[in-house]
Amino acid sequence: MSKRQTMRQRLKLNRPSRRRLARPPRQRTPVGMDFTAANLPVALSLQHCSACGAAQYPPREVCGDCLCPTLVWREAETGGTLLAGVDLHHSLWEFFKRRIAQAPWPVASVRLDCGVTVFAHLALHTFSALPAKDAASLPADTRVAVFSHSDASRNAVLIAVSADTPIAERGQRRAIAQQLELTSPAEKPEGI
Amino acid sequence: MKDYAGVVLAAPVSFGYARQSPRGANWFIGCTLAEMLRQAGLAKDDVDGLAVSSFSLGADSAITLTQHFQMSPRWIDQLPYGGAAGLVALRRAARAVQAGDAEIVACIGGDGAAHRAFEGTAANFSNFTIDASFPYGAGGPNTAFALITRHYMERFGATREDFARVALDQRYNANHYPPALLGHKTLSLEQYLGARPIAGPLHLFDCVMPCAGGEGFLMMSEDRARHLGLPYCHILAAGELHNAHRDDPVQFRGGWTEYADALYQAAALGPEDIDLLQTYDDYPVISMLQMEDLGFCAKGEGPAFVRDTDLRFDGSGQQARKLPHNTSGGQLSVGQAGSAAGYMGIVESIRQLTGRAPHNPVSGARHAMVSGFGMINYDRGLCSAAAILGSAQQ
Ligand SMILES: [Zn+2]
Repeated sequence: MSKRQTMRQRLKLNRPSRRRLARPPRQRTPVGMDFTAANLPVALSLQHCSACGAAQYPPREVCGDCLCPTLVWREAETGGTLLAGVDLHHSLWEFFKRRIAQAPWPVASVRLDCGVTVFAHLALHTFSALPAKDAASLPADTRVAVFSHSDASRNAVLIAVSADTPIAERGQRRAIAQQLELTSPAEKPEGI
Repeated sequence: MKDYAGVVLAAPVSFGYARQSPRGANWFIGCTLAEMLRQAGLAKDDVDGLAVSSFSLGADSAITLTQHFQMSPRWIDQLPYGGAAGLVALRRAARAVQAGDAEIVACIGGDGAAHRAFEGTAANFSNFTIDASFPYGAGGPNTAFALITRHYMERFGATREDFARVALDQRYNANHYPPALLGHKTLSLEQYLGARPIAGPLHLFDCVMPCAGGEGFLMMSEDRARHLGLPYCHILAAGELHNAHRDDPVQFRGGWTEYADALYQAAALGPEDIDLLQTYDDYPVISMLQMEDLGFCAKGEGPAFVRDTDLRFDGSGQQARKLPHNTSGGQLSVGQAGSAAGYMGIVESIRQLTGRAPHNPVSGARHAMVSGFGMINYDRGLCSAAAILGSAQQ
């Protein structure tokens, strides 16, 4: 086998779809990594402007309101209102492709009470009154709570739950993240 | 705002549409340029301005392309504005020619479609996207637009049947535009409604197919075009506004609302005088936003408007009101060739206004509205641009 063919073979075998374990996207920007660090000890931490106090999201370098260069990570209120929820049936990323092969992946956009809009994984099982367990049956303006948890790539990601879900304790939050199958890689037993 | 008198658009070229290609962006941009020169009967060095848009140039840029193509332009620009790139290039190039900074500007959008290239673009789109949207299901722009579409449907009562009106008439147009990648297939309402789901209310035929290709046109003075014997069209008005309505929690309108009136005023026309409309159709709901914001109907009336309007290029639909829309089939049926998609509406409009659309002609077309929308950053599209083009026979 020529050197070139060996390389081709390796590239082919190295495709995400061939690997035994698939994880959520690992890549973050430097401030995205700060988001993970700031969220380790608390339910939800966001950047706040040291001059005007405005909460910020997505993570950034300067205040989006007054351009103040100093943003501090501070615990934030978890309450918010659902803008829209959808079920994903397609993904570009192997981890989600494998999860979606089992069931559609629900995500939502949420307006937090502190004024920022976040995307979050949607824990449909916490909405007990929901007739069908799909994101489309969740109406806009539903009250929700949003907290952070580490995913299987050890990045903090946001999870939206019904407003009455107990999330004060770390164990409660971990149980929800585990039920979403966010904390473990998506496994393909015959992979390499 | 100063008008666009004295400058014209010519040499419209759509090049090399393909689902996948081993060729890179340089190849598509270079071949598009060569075709533009051939069409205009110009030599490479007659072009002294170059405006380029591409997502897949990699380490290359507009300036490194000048060495690749062995050109020496005295005016250069690179416009990474996705669906608005062509219109922004048009505005910049027109001013350059008016000011005498360049005599002939080649404006080109082009992209390759290497295996898994789209995934890479989506994963690395911007800082906000990397940190706050791609980790949530990695659906690319589909996720943001599923949320926007869902919100629009709830707020204004739009249905999937309404979105089908846009997709189906565009497919009909594509059936008459040979280069369209999906033009050989018809699309019925049953097929549209029965398509596999992608994200929330979005199904297969609501989403564009990423592909490779190039689109380009030349900007020059009217005198030069006449001297060269080239068919051309005019810019009657043009505008742009970015990250408008930034406090809207969910996007349901774009920057067009802020300058649509000014465009009509500058062109001394109204929406009823527009003979063809080219919107940026990365998703049907976005075409509806543009119809509303550009004054073809009121906000929230997009669904009723498309129900009551024949959007086919030849007016063969049942509805009494006619508005030929995305007359080559748009991205939904031609394919989305990266940044070329932001040039597609201009190139197709030049063809229509110069009588060079032999298979899908809009008869008697004199005025075209071209609209662009681009750069889905995190939860919304940021760029908006629009222009009214007019045929030379006013
Ligand atoms: Zn501030």
